[in-house]
Amino acid sequence: MNFLKTSVWAAVLLFLFYSVLILSLLTAFEGKGFWGILLSPDTLFAIRLSLTAATLAAFLAVAVGLPAAYALSRKKFFGKQVVDTILELPMIMSPIALGAALLIFFNTRAGEAIQSRGLLFVFEFPGIVLAQFATIAGLATRLMKTALDEISPRYEAVARSLGSSAWQAFWRITFPLAFRGLISAGILCWAKAVGEFGATVTLAGTMAFKTETMPTAIFMALASADIPKTVILILILAGIGLTALYAVRLLGKRPQPL
Amino acid sequence: MIRIHDLSLSAGNFRTGPLNLEPQEGAFNILLGPTGSGKTLLLESVIGLRPVKQGRVILDGKEIQDLAPEKRGIAYLPQDLALFPHLTVRENLRYGLRAQGRISAEDESHLERLIEALKIGHLLERPPQGLSGGEKQRTALGRALATSPRLILLDEPLAALDPALRGEIQQLLLSLQRTLRFTALYVTHDLEEAYLLGDTITVLIDGRIEQRGRRQDVFLRPATAKIARFLGFRNLFPGEVRPPGPGRTGMAISFWGKEILLPEEQAAEAFAAGEKVILYLRPEEVLVLREGKPIKETLRPNILEGRVMRVLDRGAYQWILFRPSGMDISLEIHLPNYVFRNLALTEGQGIRVAMRKESFWVMPDEDRG
Repeated sequence: MNFLKTSVWAAVLLFLFYSVLILSLLTAFEGKGFWGILLSPDTLFAIRLSLTAATLAAFLAVAVGLPAAYALSRKKFFGKQVVDTILELPMIMSPIALGAALLIFFNTRAGEAIQSRGLLFVFEFPGIVLAQFATIAGLATRLMKTALDEISPRYEAVARSLGSSAWQAFWRITFPLAFRGLISAGILCWAKAVGEFGATVTLAGTMAFKTETMPTAIFMALASADIPKTVILILILAGIGLTALYAVRLLGKRPQPL
Repeated sequence: MIRIHDLSLSAGNFRTGPLNLEPQEGAFNILLGPTGSGKTLLLESVIGLRPVKQGRVILDGKEIQDLAPEKRGIAYLPQDLALFPHLTVRENLRYGLRAQGRISAEDESHLERLIEALKIGHLLERPPQGLSGGEKQRTALGRALATSPRLILLDEPLAALDPALRGEIQQLLLSLQRTLRFTALYVTHDLEEAYLLGDTITVLIDGRIEQRGRRQDVFLRPATAKIARFLGFRNLFPGEVRPPGPGRTGMAISFWGKEILLPEEQAAEAFAAGEKVILYLRPEEVLVLREGKPIKETLRPNILEGRVMRVLDRGAYQWILFRPSGMDISLEIHLPNYVFRNLALTEGQGIRVAMRKESFWVMPDEDRG
């Protein structure tokens, strides 16, 4: 078997692997009670909480990550490699460990000082946003850096020679050119935040109608051996995730480079 | 206009200068050098894309090396043109005027004249992606010139074009420069392009300015053998300046045991007797002597006998490799086709060649110190 055929078979094998997982879910899904579980107050709360927290976390990750990505893409500065490496920390660190680190931080003097000023994170809604932000900020920065790397700095150089300030050159030239890549990065991070569990459950807990996000609800349903509810919640989460990925695909068509 | 004073630049392990350069105002100034000589580095420092740590860039008497690029008022045309792909041709052309908040009728009519001169009026609503190479060049030129800059830096903008189109855009560039009288600093490694466009030429090799002057000065009288080699000169031979001898005026060089008389314009005082030099002989100025024909008195001192080793038809001329008897050197000769046909030269044939004093150029031999 030649290399090309082998590589195609590898792709088919992966597809079958995930298909079997989805099929097993559908097998367990009896079709009964779907709307009842979907429209139950606790599920609707979990969906609303997940979407709200993930949207806020993704917005914050893009807001902080975009300037950071720009600096990493365009500028040389002391310690750039270290910063770049630290950004990968959430990718190699277990989410539970990340959540534990956040929990421990809020038990330090600095953390307690923040909480004592009314900014409550532990077992609170802001804790969910923070845990999701911590998980996706590095990834968002890395993905946006890749999007910016694809845009030649020469465009900005010419724009500046024509009279644009650094900000104007970014806003009028680089940003529109990188827009699809940046939006894709935002959607991917949002989808990852929606599915985030480890860090969230460690920092914010599993309180129903307070900090129970969709992944937490899945965990709780499974822990109480409620398989039909578990399956339905998984299907809802998968539906949200796949819709986001499909949106990324649609945005993936970039303008042709010159 | 612009003056570059003691500018030292670095990028990675590469270091230049201190570089001093004063392009001629209202002229087409060429910065010529091989790849990796620091041309683009210099240009990017002048435009403000690279920080200048040492030295000064002075524009109209004002130091600008610490100013942001948008505050310098220098137009820039990079090699890849960098037309903004998300904007139409019209939006590209107007970008500078918009960025500078210029909406005067004078600016508008200048842009209209430019569009007409560049023949891009029919392209204004199109995106740059679908344009041909020449159309892209014209649009990029228009964008750079729309704000009526007094100084424009061009970084090998024609390098990617095929020869026919390159020639057309070169003519357009020259014509625009002569009409608008902007000062151009044009980077290239292409000798032909440098000769065609350059009012002045500065040769930059290994981060050092080796020579600057009018194009004739550089191309006909290279200051060093290093420049001559970069310019593609092939007939370069080591020689030694002879002390003044009886009955001889002017300078003589001995090479391979033969004394060659040199032209008076090669000031004898520039070289001391006994000094090692590099002798250059222009291949297109070597005369192949016809047997039986009288020889002019002025040609008699510089005659070599030898054999034709190779003949190559180069299309526009015939390339002859000549080996003088008793010398371990080969001489390239470029003969016009009609002369070659009349002489009916063949490989292996014995011939005599004469060299006018004016066909030689002598340079210091830096390799030997």
